[in-house]
Amino acid sequence: MKRPDSLYRRLLIWLLVPLVGLGALMLVQAYLDARHTADRAFDRLLEAATLAIADRVQWQDDQLWLDLPPAALEMLATDAEERVFYALYDGDGRFITGNARLPGDTRPDRVHDSVHESARGDTLLYRDIEWHSLTLRQGIRRSRLEDWSLQERFEVRVAHTREGREALTLSLLRTNLAYIGVMAALAIAALLLAVRSALAPLTRLRRAIRARDPRTLTPLELTLPRELAELRETLNDLLARMRRVRANQERFIGDASHQLRTPLAGLSTRAELALRQDDPAAWRSALEAMQATSDSTARLAGQLLSLTRLDNPEATPDLAPLDLNALARRACRDAWASCDRANIDLGVEAEDTPLMIDGVAWQLEEALSNLIDNARRYGAHCITVRVTDGPPTLAVEDDGPGIAKHQRLLVLRPFYRGRDGGEGSGLGLAIVDGIARSHKARLTLEPMANDRGLSVAIHFTGDR
Amino acid sequence: MNGMLGRTRHREAERLATGVREWARPRVFSALWVAICLVVSTLPVQAEQTLRFSGSATPTEPLEQLTVHGALDIPQIRPLLEDFHHRHPFVTLTYRNLTTLELNQRFLAAETPSADVLISSAMPWQYRLANDGHGQTLNGPLADTWPEWARWRHELFAVTFEPIVMVYRQELEEDFGAPQSHDALLNLLEQHGDALRGRVVTYDPAKSGAGYSYAVEEARLSPRYWELVAALGSADAVLEETTGAMLKGLEEGKYWLGYNLLGSYARDVVDADPALKMVIPKDYALVTQRLVLIPTRAPHPTAAKRFVNYLLSEHGQRVLAERTALGAVHPALEGPGTANDLKSRLGEALRPIRLSPALLATLDDLKRRALLTRWQREFRRWQPSPSSGKPGAALPTSQTTSASRPDMTGENTSAAR
Repeated sequence: MKRPDSLYRRLLIWLLVPLVGLGALMLVQAYLDARHTADRAFDRLLEAATLAIADRVQWQDDQLWLDLPPAALEMLATDAEERVFYALYDGDGRFITGNARLPGDTRPDRVHDSVHESARGDTLLYRDIEWHSLTLRQGIRRSRLEDWSLQERFEVRVAHTREGREALTLSLLRTNLAYIGVMAALAIAALLLAVRSALAPLTRLRRAIRARDPRTLTPLELTLPRELAELRETLNDLLARMRRVRANQERFIGDASHQLRTPLAGLSTRAELALRQDDPAAWRSALEAMQATSDSTARLAGQLLSLTRLDNPEATPDLAPLDLNALARRACRDAWASCDRANIDLGVEAEDTPLMIDGVAWQLEEALSNLIDNARRYGAHCITVRVTDGPPTLAVEDDGPGIAKHQRLLVLRPFYRGRDGGEGSGLGLAIVDGIARSHKARLTLEPMANDRGLSVAIHFTGDR
Repeated sequence: MNGMLGRTRHREAERLATGVREWARPRVFSALWVAICLVVSTLPVQAEQTLRFSGSATPTEPLEQLTVHGALDIPQIRPLLEDFHHRHPFVTLTYRNLTTLELNQRFLAAETPSADVLISSAMPWQYRLANDGHGQTLNGPLADTWPEWARWRHELFAVTFEPIVMVYRQELEEDFGAPQSHDALLNLLEQHGDALRGRVVTYDPAKSGAGYSYAVEEARLSPRYWELVAALGSADAVLEETTGAMLKGLEEGKYWLGYNLLGSYARDVVDADPALKMVIPKDYALVTQRLVLIPTRAPHPTAAKRFVNYLLSEHGQRVLAERTALGAVHPALEGPGTANDLKSRLGEALRPIRLSPALLATLDDLKRRALLTRWQREFRRWQPSPSSGKPGAALPTSQTTSASRPDMTGENTSAAR
């Protein structure tokens, strides 16, 4: 099972991994430094030993002569009991004396390097060599005999094993390690504290949210760091929107109950009046009136239901490809009979080729029938259902009185009747708006030419 | 490489009787080595002696093989080997007694060494073997607690403690008093050099590796050593090659005073002869030690480590102290024959030859020639003529030859005997 991601862990990892990498780099650096320091210290021994030997080189019996000072060799062996090797070579590289035939160094004389040049003008060379499966540090001194008439070149080569150097390297490294270790421990401790304290406001926020009454929508009042304050503001915005939505819902429920109660009260009154009479003809007319009222009430209830369904943000309709042209023709066919009875001219302007969009057919049919119905109710004589492409648009145009500009947004609210005199429920446009929103389409209300009439259009600009 | 080289010049019977092993001088020239071999092979006795203890497997331990090459006479080492065999009956032990030179040459010549342990008194050579990486590391509680001055890198262990002494006859004490220090010896020689002409004997550093290495050490200790050499020369001191030869002359009454004898060999002789007295000089006394080394390629390293651990152990060292004249190093041991005993009596005067790279300098060919030249110059300083025909004058016939080719002269002398 994968453990859920945690900010704490994420922060720690992102801070610790570079820290550990840095620590490793510091260790390597410390080791190299220590080794270098140890080599520098011990190379002084090589220098001193070669000097002590070179001082005792003479010219005797027509050859180079060395009265080897034992102290020179003892210098090379510290407490670490290094193995010690030495050799004297003449200028032509011939072995004169020594306990090992140490290899030469091909590097040239460093004449101008003041660091590597002693007062005598000797050249000193140091390097690590592998010799007879021993790891040695070798020091070479190139020097010359300065005599009255003689300038004989010679080379003193000494070498010893690295135990002393390694011991010094280790002890230097141990000191450094202690420092690095303490620093690492402090850094990690500080890191843990820092991450913990940085995340503390988050915990406070969580507690504050958890402690709230689920029904209250009042804003959060909490002092938080900037990053979290933004989150708090966003939360408060959401809460404000929820407050508005709830107010809308309360008003809607109020309106809906009012709307339903009025026809029901009418029905009740009508029935009461009819019961007081004995005339069957009066009964009949009452029953007819009651049937019409209950029809419209049923229609109102149906509209309320579909509006509620459309307003539910969690109900995502399954969009399917459909042909707008065919849909427009079908809607006209369905509405033609009622329009014809009211002597209204209903027409379709659509291409023959299919215009495909993703949508929910029954919702769009409902929207069209609502729009046609609306136009019919509010005194249009000519209604045109128009389908155009680019972007795909479904429009219903009428030549009725139109809607004043300041009312065009208000009419989208439920139970708002912009044009008095009609017997509509005031829900039609609200439903169309809901359908347009659920299709991510844009709804526009425009007057026709001459500021007369109304064109309600659904532009399918969204994802096709 | 020049150092102590062991060479049998005595008859076997003599060596066994006196328990003396001499050091001899080294030369690396192989031609010379062939010459030495020839000389050795013409001697009536074999240079090599072998002592063998056959072991048998015990219920707990399988049979082990062990070969020890030592420059240590069999009578000296026998008690030690017997005790080891008694404690480790499952080890078949072969001890081969070789001269220091043979021991070194044999080891270096062999492709796979036959020896599991090398014991030699030729400290510079043993040191050089270890320095060149021929030694195996021995760890363990015994090796770790072994005195630091008596070991090197856990590869080389000094197991004996043998002071360099003076031996004099009673006649000397009666006539001039016995010198108890180098200073007193110098005074004696300066005041009574004429009377002692030919009656003083010491090592010939040109012919004896041991004598040479003592000369190196003494010259390092004090420049006054050269005065002593000059005084020895003015007294026409006889130069011998071995402690055994010096002891023989002292026993016979030929010499009255012997300077720089190996104490471990002199002790038994002096104990047996009431006319002889042994003095460990009070101002300083060199101490030489036998060094033990396990070769890297030893065929039986387990047994070798067992043996060296035995040598380092308290019971092994007690055998050394009580049943040989070699002297025990173990810090826990007290009483006669131990380093502690000598130290408590002589204190700071004891100068053990240090296990340090200075030993390598001893082996330097040019160094050797330079020191011998100086030694001979000092020795002849007060002599009227270099080729004096006085009896007992032991100077080589040709000084230059003795300086540069000492072994050849030495060989010729011994072959002539």
